[in-house]
Amino acid sequence: MVEQDYQELTAEEAELYDRQIRLWGLENQKKLRNSKILIAGINGLGAEIAKNIILAGVKSVTFLDSKSVSKLDFASQFFIPRTDENKLRAEASLPRAQALNPMVELTADTGNLHEKDEEFFKKFDVIVIIEGKMSEQIRIDNICRANNIKFFAADMWGLFGFSFSDLQEHEFAEDIIKHKVVSKPNEKVKTEPIKTTSKRSLNFPSLETAIAFDYNSPAFVKRMKKSGPAPLVMKILQTFREQENRDPLPENREEDIKKLLSIRDSLSNSEQVTDIYFEHVFGQISPSAAILGGSVAQEIIKTVSQKDAPHYNYFFFDPQTACGYIEAIGV
Amino acid sequence: MAAEIDGFFRDDLREKILTSKLLVVGAGGIGCEVLKNLVMCGFKNIEIIDLDTIDVSNLNRQFLFHKEHVGKSKAMVARETALKFNPNVEIKAYHDSIFNTDYGVSFFQRFTMVLNALDNRAARNHVNRMCLNAKIPLIESGTAGYNGQVELIERGVTQCYECTPKAAQKTFPGCTIRNTPSEPVHCIVWAKHLFNQLFGEDNADEDVSPDTADPEAAGDAGKDAMEVDSNEKGNIERVSTKQWAQNCDYMPEKLFNKFFSDDINYLLSMSNLWKTRTPPKPMRYGEHDVISEVEDVSSTTGVMRDQKIWTVGECQKVFAESISNLKEQASKLKEDDHLVWDKDDKDAMDFVAACANIRSMIFSIPQKSRFDIKSMAGNIIPAIATTNAITSGFVVLHAFKVLEKKFEQCQSVYIRSQVNARNQIFVPEKIITPPNPNCYVCAAKPELILKVDTDVITVREFRDDILIKEMNMVNPDVMIDGKGIIVISSEEGETECNEEKLLKEMQIVDGCILKAEDFFQNYELTITIVHKKAEREDAKFEIIADKNILKTAESVEELKKQKTAEAASQSQEPGPSGLNGSSSNGGESSKNVAYESDEDDLVLVEETPASAEKRKHIDEDESPSCKRVKIDESEKPATLNDEDDDLICIDDD
Repeated sequence: MVEQDYQELTAEEAELYDRQIRLWGLENQKKLRNSKILIAGINGLGAEIAKNIILAGVKSVTFLDSKSVSKLDFASQFFIPRTDENKLRAEASLPRAQALNPMVELTADTGNLHEKDEEFFKKFDVIVIIEGKMSEQIRIDNICRANNIKFFAADMWGLFGFSFSDLQEHEFAEDIIKHKVVSKPNEKVKTEPIKTTSKRSLNFPSLETAIAFDYNSPAFVKRMKKSGPAPLVMKILQTFREQENRDPLPENREEDIKKLLSIRDSLSNSEQVTDIYFEHVFGQISPSAAILGGSVAQEIIKTVSQKDAPHYNYFFFDPQTACGYIEAIGV
Repeated sequence: MAAEIDGFFRDDLREKILTSKLLVVGAGGIGCEVLKNLVMCGFKNIEIIDLDTIDVSNLNRQFLFHKEHVGKSKAMVARETALKFNPNVEIKAYHDSIFNTDYGVSFFQRFTMVLNALDNRAARNHVNRMCLNAKIPLIESGTAGYNGQVELIERGVTQCYECTPKAAQKTFPGCTIRNTPSEPVHCIVWAKHLFNQLFGEDNADEDVSPDTADPEAAGDAGKDAMEVDSNEKGNIERVSTKQWAQNCDYMPEKLFNKFFSDDINYLLSMSNLWKTRTPPKPMRYGEHDVISEVEDVSSTTGVMRDQKIWTVGECQKVFAESISNLKEQASKLKEDDHLVWDKDDKDAMDFVAACANIRSMIFSIPQKSRFDIKSMAGNIIPAIATTNAITSGFVVLHAFKVLEKKFEQCQSVYIRSQVNARNQIFVPEKIITPPNPNCYVCAAKPELILKVDTDVITVREFRDDILIKEMNMVNPDVMIDGKGIIVISSEEGETECNEEKLLKEMQIVDGCILKAEDFFQNYELTITIVHKKAEREDAKFEIIADKNILKTAESVEELKKQKTAEAASQSQEPGPSGLNGSSSNGGESSKNVAYESDEDDLVLVEETPASAEKRKHIDEDESPSCKRVKIDESEKPATLNDEDDDLICIDDD
């Protein structure tokens, strides 16, 4: 994926990225610097993801978005000036995004996601789809699979959010810490952590396979009892989007919550998802966007640097329990 | 501005967001992210305080700052940028220290809640006390690398920041630094001290010359060495090092031969030290033929120069160049002024890297790159945007729950680098940890036991190193209980005559009870003194918050052995892990682990057993003490508990 021809970092880069190079090393910083990222859907979540990877120092980021700025964006899309209501989101986001790091190449593309063909996507190493229709997400995931492009889909409704990863066949290095006893037999026991690095690989299922999964299978219902109902919450909100061709709106608060509850009742047999999950499902609420955006950005960094085990394959943030966890669905 | 939009938040929460008043302490990695979340949510009334200015190395995560802001006040620039995100809010920024007495209890009482976004333990302890006093909820947070954590501190409901003893700041015995270094960090600490001796503020604890009072060398200390006498403190008598260096015009050759040849020869003469250790090999300037060195650090690029291991010749060359530049820097200062070591000053950092490596070569210790030495010397905790963003998200979600008075839902949250056994990566604790009834800060009547060598500690050291640095008082008053004798007064000059007296000379001896008070923090503490002799590698004092611990010292020792054996048999851990041996901790199955940043990367060390270890030595033979020296003035991360078997704890700079 990422080009292997690395130049040494300049002194300027070494200084700017010092604190992160001390964490992930020079080699990974060079890999980041060669990676080209597409973010389709630059809403509050998209802005959080973009902020983090621009700061980290990727080669380029493209904002693909044909939507206009709406009032809802002002709840968490901190790139867009308040005076830019009704302008195009992608373009309105550029100046503040660029100010974060002048070394990253930024592009605004105001085209439609569904008009973009395979050639367009082949220009990127990593693609993140936000606010995408399910059929579009599947189409693009399949293009990514054919071209070995790493695919992410992520969405947020209010405080709730999730991300899905399809990294196909993904190889990565993982540090294993062992504790070696360094003291002599008659001394107090003293251990030293010894770090060794090993190679692993994971094979991700496609989005098509993952969404065909039966959420009502007894085994999965049992699993959700333990880990939480977030997969179902996601399914309910995705179903709303498909049915209404939009996301819930605060001005339709009561009505939309009613619709969500009825979708819930049609999708699940039990009271697995309590009403409280639907109190905050409008726009993207900033602190949750920061949590999910931080998580997705870190996954992009992991993916590009091929370092550490990626989330396999869904990440959920459940605001009711303040828990972020991983579920393997459809694998 | 979410709260300005109808229907976005549930009505009651919306109202609280619009009307509450928040204080954010710190405008660094977490502070920037928290401030962004607050203004985007629509909090109308925010104040932020930070005494720091912006550095280039902040820009990879403190995203409210850009290159053109370098050198400016963090709080002021954070305010400006955040106001652009949402012009409809009020932000008041203070470019100031939270320790400033302007910010007393009544200042804190003006807020609905306080959000800490700090990078050091001293300030965290202080804000903890102020909020406990003001009865204002405090949300505490920190990050280190991929790890982060958020916790609520609410008086009477949760434990406070000081309920659990944090791992002590790593210190090294003076004799290890001066006589018998065995690790790179010992040489780095020595090199920083040398910098201060030559260019910085004179500090008696930072002597770099051979320590002839080293108990291990007792008997033969320098007997057949050069004709140099040592004074009663064990330091070789000479004019101040700085004076001497000035007299020889900072000539690199003279300085080099003094510290790396003459002093080493003197150490060699203390032959007892080298019975079981590899003796050092003195090095003279130019011995390694600098000129013919093929490689030359000054010609390589910045990145390579930082990453490679320098040769002897390169070290000598950097030594000479940095000294001449530092001499130049110092000459521009006013008469009594001095340089302050700064990891980001090229010459100061070069000097320390060169000297540390030369000393390492002399003592057969592995050398380190300038990059790695900077981590250790500057106590750098790696920091990234993502962890800060995630942690700050949890801070503001906690703030929502505090506004709604749902304290029972404010369990601490841990941000992990890898999932735990339940596949969780952001992990809420199962329970709220209640206050520790023996906490020496939030208990109704705070008290503690101080084990201290009353024969060697002076009143000044007691005040500066123990009450201020360790117990985090700002301006203490101390009197002997029942006798009415004022030992330390917060009024300037009132007890100056006591400062250089030993504790025992003030009748502060075993069993003595002291009342210590800090007016500013509104804090009163009862201290019971237990005398202990400190040996060569031992700390001069130890704080015990829980009296019961004294009795259970032996069982802790046992437990520690068991636990360590278990750990040794564990082959693999998904994340950093550590051990626990503390009986003072109220939390269930909690593990105390601390990061220690004296390695080139974050390293986890086992905590508590160490304190048991120290206790073991109390009755052992007495010996002259060695001064212990701190690695750095900057802070060590806190220690916290995770419900899982691993770690966490943290700080962001």
